[in-house]
Amino acid sequence: MSLVDLKSLQVGDALPELEFGPITRAMLALYAGASGDHNPAHIDIDFAKSSGLPDVFAHGMLSYGVLTQVVTRWAGPDRLRDFGARFVSITQVHDKITCRAVVTDVFQVGHETRARIGVKAIAQDGRETLIGDAVVACA
Amino acid sequence: MNTEASATRRGIFDRSTKGKTIEPVSVFIERGRIRFFAQVLGNHDPMHASFEAARAAGHPDLLAPASFFVVAEALADEERARRALPSAAQLVKCDYRYLLHGDERYFYAGPIYAGDEVVHATTVLDFYDKKNGAMEFVSLESTLTHPTRGVLLRTTRTLLHRLPAQEG
Repeated sequence: MSLVDLKSLQVGDALPELEFGPITRAMLALYAGASGDHNPAHIDIDFAKSSGLPDVFAHGMLSYGVLTQVVTRWAGPDRLRDFGARFVSITQVHDKITCRAVVTDVFQVGHETRARIGVKAIAQDGRETLIGDAVVACA
Repeated sequence: MNTEASATRRGIFDRSTKGKTIEPVSVFIERGRIRFFAQVLGNHDPMHASFEAARAAGHPDLLAPASFFVVAEALADEERARRALPSAAQLVKCDYRYLLHGDERYFYAGPIYAGDEVVHATTVLDFYDKKNGAMEFVSLESTLTHPTRGVLLRTTRTLLHRLPAQEG
């Protein structure tokens, strides 16, 4: 199923991009329910306004959960060894997210060959929202 | 203790909680919750939705998606609320009016499956300031531990308050 062969990975190889969105208010309500994160800043515009914000904004972990898939769709969910990302800007309602991933290192841990993959989520206007990296087992 | 900073600090976090661990609680991982969570994220991998596909791939049940920790934590915090115990967010006194997520990292030690019962625990690692006190951070470490398979997931994250402009 892998489009880039896990066994012959090279630094600089790009994984297939993944697109998500546009983010809707309904999506934020569903993510609140599915995740159990009921922070009103994401689902209650009255709360957002009373906090001095112009509108609700997306759960960072919604974009994060989407971003993990740029790696897991390609490698399979059980090959993921670690995944981390920083939230560098807020994802707003109506943002459309593109997830990109590039191999930055291939290394050995014991008998396992692993690849480190730099990942990014980018909104439609080029604004980076998440920047991180994943480690996957190749062989 | 930085006394100079504490004299002028306008933070909201309760920094006396540094080093504290909230009460570990056990949560049951349900198939339906895995399916719903994966679906909302647009994750259509059958490992998270089809029992038959998961079994055919050698798994005992549905596999939890990569960021499923958030669900396990929410379930654990619901259980804590029923027992009148604080969540980590309540312990450190997160204020949702100003709260943002700084970063989050997962270290996967083993798969989490539907039907698993795992223990969730969180420790408050540290507090610090940035931008001359305009932002304050807390770093947390959590684990999900299976009674026989051991620690399945370790996670570190930072949460922050973007503090309102100082008055006066």
